Amino acid sequence: MSISVLDALRPAKKPALLVLMAVFGLFVGAWVHGKYFSDRSPVQPIEFSHRVHAADNEIPCQHCHIYADKTPVAGVPSVSKCMGCHKSIPSVRDSPEILKLAAYWENREPIPWIKVHDLPDYVHFTHKRHVKAGLACQECHGPVETMDRITRVATMRMPWCVDCHTERSVEHGRDCWTCHK
Amino acid sequence: MPKISRRDLLQYIGAGGIGAVGGVLYGESVQRNVELLIPQVVPPEDYSPGVATWYNTVCNQCSAGCGISVRIREGKAKKIEGNPVHPVSQGRLCARGQAGLNVLYNPDRIRMPLRNTGQRGSGNFEEISWDETLTTVASRLGRIKIEGEASRVRLLSGRVRGHLDELFAQFMSLLGSDHYQQYDFTYPSALMAANKMSFGIDVLPYYDIKNADFLLSFGADYLGTWLSPVHHSLAYGHLRQGRQGQRGKTVQIEPRMSLSGAAADEWIAARPGTEGLLALGIAHALVSAGHYLGGDRDEWSSALQAYSPSQVSAATEVSENTIARIAREFSASTASLAIAGGATAAGTNAVASIVAVNALNYLAANLNQPGGIIFNTEPAFSDTSGSTQAGLQGMLDLVAAMEAGDVEVLLVHDTNPVFALPANVGFRQAMKNVPLIVALSSFRDETTEMADFILPTSTYLESWGDDVPDPGVGFPVASISQPVVATLYDTLPTGDIVLSLARQIGGELPVSMHWATMEEFIKERWREEFEERGTEAADQEFEEFWRAALEAGVWGQPGAAAGDQALPSSSSIIASISDPVSEFAGDSSAYPLVLHPYLTATFLDGRGANLPWLQELPDPMTSVVYGSWAELNPVTADELGIREGDVLDVESAAGTVRVPALIFPAIKPGVVAMPIGQGHAAYGRYAKDRGVNPIHIVATLMDDRAGDLAWAATRVKIKNTGERLHIIKTDGVTRTLGRQILGPGNDHG
Repeated sequence: MSISVLDALRPAKKPALLVLMAVFGLFVGAWVHGKYFSDRSPVQPIEFSHRVHAADNEIPCQHCHIYADKTPVAGVPSVSKCMGCHKSIPSVRDSPEILKLAAYWENREPIPWIKVHDLPDYVHFTHKRHVKAGLACQECHGPVETMDRITRVATMRMPWCVDCHTERSVEHGRDCWTCHK
Repeated sequence: MPKISRRDLLQYIGAGGIGAVGGVLYGESVQRNVELLIPQVVPPEDYSPGVATWYNTVCNQCSAGCGISVRIREGKAKKIEGNPVHPVSQGRLCARGQAGLNVLYNPDRIRMPLRNTGQRGSGNFEEISWDETLTTVASRLGRIKIEGEASRVRLLSGRVRGHLDELFAQFMSLLGSDHYQQYDFTYPSALMAANKMSFGIDVLPYYDIKNADFLLSFGADYLGTWLSPVHHSLAYGHLRQGRQGQRGKTVQIEPRMSLSGAAADEWIAARPGTEGLLALGIAHALVSAGHYLGGDRDEWSSALQAYSPSQVSAATEVSENTIARIAREFSASTASLAIAGGATAAGTNAVASIVAVNALNYLAANLNQPGGIIFNTEPAFSDTSGSTQAGLQGMLDLVAAMEAGDVEVLLVHDTNPVFALPANVGFRQAMKNVPLIVALSSFRDETTEMADFILPTSTYLESWGDDVPDPGVGFPVASISQPVVATLYDTLPTGDIVLSLARQIGGELPVSMHWATMEEFIKERWREEFEERGTEAADQEFEEFWRAALEAGVWGQPGAAAGDQALPSSSSIIASISDPVSEFAGDSSAYPLVLHPYLTATFLDGRGANLPWLQELPDPMTSVVYGSWAELNPVTADELGIREGDVLDVESAAGTVRVPALIFPAIKPGVVAMPIGQGHAAYGRYAKDRGVNPIHIVATLMDDRAGDLAWAATRVKIKNTGERLHIIKTDGVTRTLGRQILGPGNDHG
């Protein structure tokens, strides 16, 4: 007669399954959150599509982000900049998202975009130097021209910065004071 | 296939669901905070985020007229520095100037027009619209004008120069009132009067400290508060270290060591009120030792006969040797200069004392010489001669008129006589007799609190204006003040308020004062100046000039000839000399000590007390922060049995203030020094109920020739209340606590 531990384990089977289900649920929940509610890809007040603008219509990045090569920040385009073009694009004038834009413009209100790429205040990052160094926007921001909604692809954390600085042998690229003043 | 019961299935689903919720919550917990990226609706033209733009304008924190550069980022003012091309400040700035940001961003700024709803002075105000305010005030003024009673309207302003001064004068004269006056506690009335007597000049000369070898200052704290401290500090640096192998010497004569006294080679505490006498004693020694080479030596000798060093020494408590030595050094120096200010210019003998100092400069041939007194040309524009300065006499007249019911409307702009006049003058009480008081101010100070209507003015960083520095710099200079940021609140620049009132009053006012804005007015006047100065200019050229002037913040003609002022004759200076005998209010037996109030480099006459940066700045001499204190020499303190921190009642015939004692070695025994500036009953959260105001216990004596308050001519007595208070200061103890730091025999524990 063989002795089986299965019989002894049988009472634990159900709790184990319950825990398994809960853990599975945890992963599903985290995945769903990451996919649909993450700060990597927040839902914006207007469903602006970089794919439509940058790929389909081939508008260069710095047409809208006019400060990228001049100042620390790339600059989110002003509402007047959006309307500057959209006033004369009748084909999409009545689409719900453009109507939202028009409403902001009429009320003279800024659009409260949610930041996707954000660095802490103790990091002195400047777009100007990176653009001047010949870096493509996509190196850090990912293939924005394929994104309908902007998703952060890089961690934007210090190891990621330092890796790139090391790889490209940036002068003083590993010096603390280069980024932390 | 094992069977799963319905109950089990629901349990599994439940577990999975709880897990999923947990997963979402986990995901949420590691999220970063949502930060918004707010775009401009319409970006300003010269806007680059993260890149600073510097705009040049004029400082308004005292009357020196320094040029400033304001760092603007994203439309916000971030930092103020001196304008490098401005001849007064030359890229430097003092603490008060730096604290201009505290004026702009002050949480106690008035943001809307206010109407008094309670009793006068109760501080109960309600917000009303600009339309209603201006209409109400203008219709009242218009009615008075039509009734021919316009002389019952008075305008009292703080020190204002440039074209705002002209605008005020024009507004009042068109209204039909000749009662436009300015009151500024720090206005150098005595200096102006004395210079008029000695030299016949109406504008302040340029005191060329920079090129002097020997600077003799009678009470003038030129590094802290006198006339143009930033400019003088630069000059002082040059006097000391700017010339290879040559170090200028400075001597300071004052009863309480000021910043300039601490920086001097020699500090002499003459008996308070006798500084002018000391100047004449030095003059006597100078002439009798044969250092004066003029042909009229005998006239001078006889004029100075009564001031022999032995007599002067007895009166001033300065030794004869010192007098003779200073006379020798003063005349032997290639470029010597004597200046007078502070308490020397605030006694009942102020004018006579400064005249004596002027005589000293004449005797040493310092007039119109490098390193001496250089006469300024007439200012580029604007009347700085002080004809509108009220002084104490003007304020007493105003109080009398208010009490007699002769004032129907009082317009008050940017001045605080309730604080900066002795309580005995009774300005506050007299204001109660005025049917309508309208205050133009950015802050609710003691005077503004008494108003029926408060018209909130934009700060100097938000307004158009212009200025001619006083004292000038030896050549014609004018500065433009431009708004460097958009107006923060629902306020209007003073000039625009005056123009709006003129429009609403109607009649000839809007015809003569046709400018829509202050900017338009300033620009038109500058165009006239530009054309008057010989350039038969096309519009284009003026536009270029205007843009350049705006960019630089200042216009000047450095090459232009210095003052063509003829040297005053010896006889007129001799004739102007009079006996500088000071009077003190209070009997010396009942009030044994002399009160020495002094202007501070932070608050000046109290106007800086609402700025938190200045409140937390320690006094440069005593290192005390916050509050008020009374300085006593250790000897005096010992005699009276007073220790540091004892709360004293400092009592004059005019009133009493309660302050803690500070034992301070650099003060003459028998003198009580108190900083001016604290002791506000209003003026916002940083100023209110902090310290006491020594001006309030000053007797209302004046020098008749200056017509202004002699605020250093009051005697006081001191009573120890027995209470104690810990004085907050940043330095440690003055004792060595037995550590033998000073070496054997010098360590007094």
